Amino acid sequence: MADIQTSIRKNQKIKLLNGQTVTVTGKIGEGGQGIVYRVKVDGTNEEKAMKWYFMYKINDPKSFCSNLADNVATGSPSETFVWPEQLTEVTNGSFGYIMEIIPDRYKALSKYLQARVSFKSCSAMVTAAINIVEAFQQLINKGYSFQDINDGSFKIDPTTGDVLICDCDNVVSFGKASGISGKARYKAPEVVRGDTLPNKVTDRYSLAVILFLLLVGNHPLEGARSNVPCMTGKYERRFYGQEPVFMFDEQLDVNRPVPGLHRNAIALWPCYPDFIRKAFIRSFSQDSLLRSEGRLIEQEWLMLLVRLKSCIVRCMNCGCEYFAESTIATACPDCMAYNTPPGYLRFDKKRTNVEITIPIADGAKLYEAELDERSKDYNTVSAEILVKPGKYGLKNLSKSVWEITAPGGKTVKKAPGEVAVLGTGFRIDFGNGVTAEIVANSR
Amino acid sequence: MGMIDRVEVPRKVCPVIILADKSISMDGLPIGSENAAIEGILPELASMNKENPDAFIKFALMEFSTGVNWKTGIDGLVDPAEYKWVDLVADGATSFGLACKELNNKLSVSHGFMKQASGSMSPVIILISDGEPTDSYSVALAELKKNNWFKVAAKIAIGYGKANDKVLEEFTGNPETVIHTNDVQELKNLIKFVAITSSMVVSTGQATKSNTDTNADPDDTTSVVADALKQAQAALSDATDPGEEW
Repeated sequence: MADIQTSIRKNQKIKLLNGQTVTVTGKIGEGGQGIVYRVKVDGTNEEKAMKWYFMYKINDPKSFCSNLADNVATGSPSETFVWPEQLTEVTNGSFGYIMEIIPDRYKALSKYLQARVSFKSCSAMVTAAINIVEAFQQLINKGYSFQDINDGSFKIDPTTGDVLICDCDNVVSFGKASGISGKARYKAPEVVRGDTLPNKVTDRYSLAVILFLLLVGNHPLEGARSNVPCMTGKYERRFYGQEPVFMFDEQLDVNRPVPGLHRNAIALWPCYPDFIRKAFIRSFSQDSLLRSEGRLIEQEWLMLLVRLKSCIVRCMNCGCEYFAESTIATACPDCMAYNTPPGYLRFDKKRTNVEITIPIADGAKLYEAELDERSKDYNTVSAEILVKPGKYGLKNLSKSVWEITAPGGKTVKKAPGEVAVLGTGFRIDFGNGVTAEIVANSR
Repeated sequence: MGMIDRVEVPRKVCPVIILADKSISMDGLPIGSENAAIEGILPELASMNKENPDAFIKFALMEFSTGVNWKTGIDGLVDPAEYKWVDLVADGATSFGLACKELNNKLSVSHGFMKQASGSMSPVIILISDGEPTDSYSVALAELKKNNWFKVAAKIAIGYGKANDKVLEEFTGNPETVIHTNDVQELKNLIKFVAITSSMVVSTGQATKSNTDTNADPDDTTSVVADALKQAQAALSDATDPGEEW
């Protein structure tokens, strides 16, 4: 449909505001707001992407353009963001900007939601969730709001969980409106109701929706009640704005997932540890939906998600990855065998109000942010549970020397690369102010 | 089901229904344009379905002349990627009233096309006509206007040649979504443009006027599509050399 909505031609030269020119070499894709072209920067031959707007989709082109110019000047919050680098001059009544080309290994979140792409491992999936939250944190810390947050905004590598955030042209400073009307499914109810413009708190709701879609595979507000024959504007306002109900609300059971329709949620929700289910129940409680209260801040999500990543273990029966609870039996989602870990590590301090316990089970890993209070690294493995016949060990993959004390008082040190045998009542001082105790589960 | 296995998140169906006049006055170039345009939008709709995780466009085509016939079959809406195109052949009169009556029948969950497991979005209904109705249509149109699906649909009409725009306006309920042309080449472009723009606006969830105006009627999908068409027409007239585009 490009031929009827734009007049950019192949080989056309477009001037950038910094004086450089680019030559259009091909088309990359098309979205609701415009078309993305492949371009070469004249002189350097560097390949870039150029977004070119359908002007009629922009409510207030002047302020939209000025916001874009501000964002170009301020620069990207981090490498995760595919940020506007240079604006073009107005050409044939429209304009655009150039940015980096997204490598092919990144796939749009919308493809995951359509089950056309799937993660290669649980770890990649949770890493993607962590990366999304971190990106949000960076954005919010810079004073920006992501007003058009939706499934098209994220591109994810299914093998590593690496994330790129696209559509950064709709990012604005808090308190401003971007002129983009986003999708109701991703907007906070108070924005759908027209009570407020998007802000930090409404973005946190949208973040929770994205995380729920990513992990549980359905929309949190879409269940039996919202499954009307025709989703008219009135219904959209009601189900996403005025009377929203979470499909797993603890008090209201009117909007439960429908068998055959919301199959991911029905299959996967029971397989998540209690602390993750509680985080979503809180994120989509009536307090949150109707009064904007109780939404999780990014740091809470990060600690919950890294704890979730530490709970990924292999089923003793079928070898499938699943999320193990620390203290109770968990059903493997694939073979439905129940596994109970022999015990768990209980950390002495809560982190951002999140209690940390890690099941002792084959494959469980601890990450740097869990073993070092100052660390913001949620991906580097600092410890791993190992199994030998008759015993469990914890391998020190961190940079610190650990001190392990048995209940009888005997103390040993374990340097990086060494393995500490885990016994009931042992206390481990990981250094950096983090300590934990080994607790046995009753059998 | 493992933790990383998924089935598709249910998508609402976005019904796109085209009512195409094939009366004898369309014979020759007009019916050729109509055929080329409607056939041409099918891959575009299929391509939108690949990209949009919120909605899945399904399509129905009614041809009307002396009688009416669902080219896409009477079993319901079809996937645009799977429909095998067969050209319309011009003949007969312009039984617009009969077309309204038949559309009314099919805009129903219990005995029509609208039963979808995951529910639907507001339909997009496009009427293409080149002449005055040859039957008495008032009662049928009045009945159709009582249909709740019709009420919330985005209704657009394309008039060609001697089409009576007043009748088309009665159908859409909004003069801004009645577009007229006397140029047969433009007829083809218009059909394609209107079908794609309105399908995109509705299927991507941009059709809720309350997105930007909380006082607006959230179910007036037609006026949102009217805005999109109006603004997009400037861009349409810019494209003077289709040979240069890709």
